[in-house]
Amino acid sequence: MKVKEFMTTGIESIDHKRSVYHAVEKMVNRRIRSLLVRFPGKEREYGVITARDVVFKVLAKGIDPKKIDVSKIASKPIVAIDKNTDFKEVAKIMEETNIARAFVYDQDRIIGLVALMDVMSASIIARARGEYVS
Amino acid sequence: MFLEKIFSKGKKENQVIGHITKQIKLLCTAFGFFKTALETDNPSLMQQVMDIERAADTIRRDIISRIYEGAFLPYLRPDLCKFVEVVDNIFDLLEDTAYRYLDLKLPEQLRSECIQVAFLNRRISEMLLITFESMIKGEDLREKILAIRIYEKKIDDIKFDLIRDARKIEITNFWDGEILSQFLSCLTSISDVIEDASDYLQVIHLSMK
Repeated sequence: MKVKEFMTTGIESIDHKRSVYHAVEKMVNRRIRSLLVRFPGKEREYGVITARDVVFKVLAKGIDPKKIDVSKIASKPIVAIDKNTDFKEVAKIMEETNIARAFVYDQDRIIGLVALMDVMSASIIARARGEYVS
Repeated sequence: MFLEKIFSKGKKENQVIGHITKQIKLLCTAFGFFKTALETDNPSLMQQVMDIERAADTIRRDIISRIYEGAFLPYLRPDLCKFVEVVDNIFDLLEDTAYRYLDLKLPEQLRSECIQVAFLNRRISEMLLITFESMIKGEDLREKILAIRIYEKKIDDIKFDLIRDARKIEITNFWDGEILSQFLSCLTSISDVIEDASDYLQVIHLSMK
């Protein structure tokens, strides 16, 4: 089963210059755990900020989230996979890189996101469809 | 096995099973047409969804008649008929969605999400067919029904995004807004009815144990 079949397409992004507080607001409002961070440049550059980054790199250290930019804590570069990648391959990449979500690209554009839950769901569906038979 | 006794013996039973399979396969075809029509903005292809609905209606009447002419044990008949009726409701809802589409100009910013829902609707209908075929073989349905629920949940998630995006669109004419709202509502509620159909398969499956 290909990633494009079961990815989340509604990706939320934030400019690298915005504050971490702004990112938190966005995550809370949308009930999501990560945001794509947009950086300027010739080639479109992306980073990612997760709830984990906010908690460990800002809140736990007593830093005021309004006084720190997203760019300071965002992880860069992001792990991105082609839209035609099989979910089995995604699971391997996630295990190897120790990440819980990966962005999906089509040519050079980010078009979606797959999280661990998506990998689990896709795997159940593929089994039910008789695609993964060991 | 008891299931095999019920499902593989008897000409009438086999005819009914064949017709129900045909009905669900038609459903998959209709969803395929709908998705392509949405992708290509093709009204004549969308029109064919309605033609398929009429063909499916004939099959439904035929199945119900055959069941009450004596196919299957009497205690199984109401649940089988109910399943067939629920599948017919899916056709009706898909037809309503196609009608609404022909009546509106779908805002481009909503098209990709609508196509994704149409794609998932097709996938979930295929899963309904797989579940039905598994039931006939007497296999465990749990994994298939879970897959249907996962699809339904995924469509629900997209529904909330669609509603949020639709609210950003400026509506200048009441009826344009009303029809767009009905289209989105129909498109995203089809999976709920497919989930209901799968629940009936589970009931039939359990009642035969």
